[in-house]
Amino acid sequence: MIKEASAVIIGGGIIGSSIAFNLLKMGMKDVSIFERSYISSGSTGRCGGGIRQQWSSPMNVRLAMRSVKLFENFKIDVGNDIEYYQGGYLLLAYTDSEADDFVKNVTMQKAQGLDVELLTPLMIKEKFPFLNIEGIKVGSWCQSDGHANPQIANIAYAIAIRKLGGDFNSHTEVKGIDVKNGEIIGVETDKGFVSTHTVIDTAGANSAKIGEMVDVKIPVYGERHQILITEPVNHFLDPLVINFNHNYYVRQTHHGSLIMGQGDKNPAPGEDLGNTIEFLEEMAAKMTKDFPLLKKVHIVRQWSGAYDMSPDAQPVIDEAHELSRFIYATGFSGHGFMLAPAVGEAVAEMVIHGKSMTMDISNLKIDRFREKVEKEHNVV
Amino acid sequence: MKTYDAVIIGGGPAGLLGALTLGNHGVETLLLDENAEIGGQLVKQTHKFFGDHEHYASVRGFEIAKKLRTEVEKTQVKLSTSSTVIGIYPENTIAYVRNDQMEKVRYKKLLIATGAMEKQLPFINSDLPGVYGAGAIQTLMNQYGIFPGKRFLIVGSGNIGLILAYQLVQAGAEVRAIIEALGAIGGYEVHSNKVKRLGIPILLNHTVLKAIGDESVQGAVIARVDDKFNPVAGTEKELVVDTICISVGLMPLTELAEQAQCKISYIPELGGYVPLRDVRMRTTNPDVFVAGDLSSIEEATTAMIEGKIAALQITEDLEKIDLEEELNEELKTISLFRSGPKSFKIRAGLEKMGIKNSKIEVPKVTSFIKRIEDGKVRAVIECDEEIPCNSCESVCKFDAIKIGKNLNAKPVLDPSKCTGCSLCMLSCPGLAIFMESVDTVTHKGTLALPYEFLPLPKVEEKMWGMDRDGNYVCDVTVKKVIKSPNKTNIVHVEMQDEFVDMVRHIKFPQKESPFVCRCEEITVEEIEKVIDSGITDFEELKRMTRVTMGPCGGKNCRMITLGILSRKTGIPISELSHGTSRPPVKPVEFSIFLRRDEK
Amino acid sequence: MEGRITEHPILNFTKKKTVKFFFEGREVEAYEGDSVAAALHASGIRVLRYTPVNGRPAGFFCAVGKCSSCLMEIDGIPNVRSCMTEVKEGMSVRRQKEKGDVV
Repeated sequence: MIKEASAVIIGGGIIGSSIAFNLLKMGMKDVSIFERSYISSGSTGRCGGGIRQQWSSPMNVRLAMRSVKLFENFKIDVGNDIEYYQGGYLLLAYTDSEADDFVKNVTMQKAQGLDVELLTPLMIKEKFPFLNIEGIKVGSWCQSDGHANPQIANIAYAIAIRKLGGDFNSHTEVKGIDVKNGEIIGVETDKGFVSTHTVIDTAGANSAKIGEMVDVKIPVYGERHQILITEPVNHFLDPLVINFNHNYYVRQTHHGSLIMGQGDKNPAPGEDLGNTIEFLEEMAAKMTKDFPLLKKVHIVRQWSGAYDMSPDAQPVIDEAHELSRFIYATGFSGHGFMLAPAVGEAVAEMVIHGKSMTMDISNLKIDRFREKVEKEHNVV
Repeated sequence: MKTYDAVIIGGGPAGLLGALTLGNHGVETLLLDENAEIGGQLVKQTHKFFGDHEHYASVRGFEIAKKLRTEVEKTQVKLSTSSTVIGIYPENTIAYVRNDQMEKVRYKKLLIATGAMEKQLPFINSDLPGVYGAGAIQTLMNQYGIFPGKRFLIVGSGNIGLILAYQLVQAGAEVRAIIEALGAIGGYEVHSNKVKRLGIPILLNHTVLKAIGDESVQGAVIARVDDKFNPVAGTEKELVVDTICISVGLMPLTELAEQAQCKISYIPELGGYVPLRDVRMRTTNPDVFVAGDLSSIEEATTAMIEGKIAALQITEDLEKIDLEEELNEELKTISLFRSGPKSFKIRAGLEKMGIKNSKIEVPKVTSFIKRIEDGKVRAVIECDEEIPCNSCESVCKFDAIKIGKNLNAKPVLDPSKCTGCSLCMLSCPGLAIFMESVDTVTHKGTLALPYEFLPLPKVEEKMWGMDRDGNYVCDVTVKKVIKSPNKTNIVHVEMQDEFVDMVRHIKFPQKESPFVCRCEEITVEEIEKVIDSGITDFEELKRMTRVTMGPCGGKNCRMITLGILSRKTGIPISELSHGTSRPPVKPVEFSIFLRRDEK
Repeated sequence: MEGRITEHPILNFTKKKTVKFFFEGREVEAYEGDSVAAALHASGIRVLRYTPVNGRPAGFFCAVGKCSSCLMEIDGIPNVRSCMTEVKEGMSVRRQKEKGDVV
């Protein structure tokens, strides 16, 4: 473990890893990153792995599109095949108000240059004959959306970080951050002290706790989401399908397994990583209705992970008002993996140049919560 | 949802005795067993059991199962067969599948007696049809009445392997051999005597290298092993068999115990990962008890007694009555059963949990004595014959080799003068000179040896180090390859320091690698490659290779993978992460969660 | 029936009702109570599938539903443990294609 770092990143999930990777690529030396358990042990290793660009605000769409561009070159840039598959995303609307939202969103997304289109129920049935289209008003389809393997991506970043000379410390927990005269002077871990003047908090569901170490208030909390995976079957599902009304998402991995999850009605706090049988009962009931062929598919494992939730379900990326050079990138509310490459690039630019340059992420600053909170509701 | 005072998972000898005991004390009990016929492993055993009259000595296994069932049916215990428990959930909830339907039930006290599963033994083509676990063959033979095969090779000479051999002959099959990797027969002498007088050879210090066959087993290759369990080159033997039976031991099925918040620990003497429990079979979860092979791989007798002990304690807990006299009787009985020489492993294992048994000494294992080297590169001359040759003396510029006036004399090396320049090695016609150096800080040693073969190894290539008898010693890494104009090329290889003066030849490793993970088809080599690339955490290794992520939930491959990881990193298995057990423990269709009218 | 033990020094194998099912379209005779894997074994069929990645022949290993080696397509449903499935009259048993088809 190095004793002096130009920047210390707390949290070795996909966001922290991407930031570290980008910092090193941009020429910074002595970058330290701390992960308290094994690599991909947090939200990253437990998530569904979807990568979409169909968001409801122009800035978010642009950021997601930048991320997809970087995912397309991941193998060359970072070094591993992460099973990235642009099989598309199919979003489904069941009510008039949902349909209206879709129409509005697609118009805006098209204006940003996204390859998205609206589909009628019959068009959906033609594309996906195994889907039960009863009740669908309209769907939105983007071919360049897709998914990848988040665990391999996280480990791939870690390998690349080490290759670039970064100090990736797994199984190392941050115990405190030392501040003197309003300036960060170092970070205390359970394996020793590292001096630094820049700290980046990417601890996901635990980012508020890290903030508390230096009296920085971060409005992010952990919420448990459950998820299940099936045995592999031959490939039949290209896109990731999200059904907001019925409350689920589902995709088929490179390996052939189906991964799916929902938003629990009263989610347990993020620290609780247990499972309930009610989750399996609820998923079985609705998935077999929309995908009758699932009746004969076997569930192999269920687990859970924490969404790092923000008040408007959008990321919170900023430098703390309370403490300069304390930067946080958190609150991804279930869509962190897909934004990681672009966020890593943007935050690295923030750290080195003072602000992000390739993409404008000013809409993700914390001050937006002083005004009206406009929640992003197209999430599961 | 109904709550039972006591639920028992597993209807083998431990579960049945537990049920009988609870039933006799009037405790409201539900017993869940996944099979159609209750009795666990007893159902397929045709031999007479050991023990005493109280524990059914001289009664055959399948008859014990029938007797126990009859006794339990006399009580009010509810027996639910063909009921597979898939997970244990919060608030003492058990989910199980019966008739393609998921059911839920709650318990106040739980006795988990899920028994054990056969250990896998990976060897080349061990995934061919015809390689079966011992239990599978007994199931076929004794339950379904089907010929399991004609000619058998049995791997493992513990009681199960020995018993199986005898049962196979009884079924009309032929056992070609029983092989055992250790130097002594693992099971009871009476079992092995039965087998010996049938004319079945028991080959000690042998292992199976590969199965031969296109679509199923047609033969097996066995070989002698040295005291490091490495096969001895040149001792390979081909046997014509159509079935290879693996009986190399059992490992407890701890998944449900883990989900019930019972702490597990790696205690190899007890069979691997076992739930921690006290002398009355209570685990770290005060409402959960374990008994039978799940708590330690032993016998049906001890399983029965453990089941009874657990049930008596559960009854004490629930009914608030005093059963201390009965409990102490049972504790004394089980201690007696475990006091013999054959039980030393169990005693050693239990002691690790703080449970003491008889005063019999556990034999200690002696450790290797390491040699200390001073780190300099020096020649080693292994020329022990009086032949007329002194090229080494004449080529040495540093006066380090003395043969003297008569060139028949054996060369003598003065190590203090040797600089390791290798000129003698290049010149020696007998290829009898090597160079050695050892780094005591890194514990690595380097050997330079003359190499006159094609193809030449490449730098960083992994090869096998062979000893003077051609036996495999260790893996070595090629560090330097020097092509010489006189064709005596020099190869420098690096290895652990303790092997440096054992290795005298290097060989390219066998190309085929056995499968570790049968579900995902991952070989030993692939796993080692990923570990070599720097991934040494079990969780990260799992995510990069998919090992343990298949439908079997890691039952086949977890222990083997942890063994490989332990071997490669030097970290003992007990300090490695074991992973997390999650429901369902068996794959279940979505349809089991639907109501009948929705299916 | 070939492959069946009729006389045993310890056990009594009483005559059971025969059940006919189909393996890859061919009729196979079995006994009531047999598991699919056991019945196939008795008929000389040991290869229950070919592994998806390497195409290797695979059969059962533990025969009691724990190792996931014996997966077959039974009555149209893939990835069924044939050693834990009881034979039924008219059942259709097939070696599945790769990882099994659901569509």
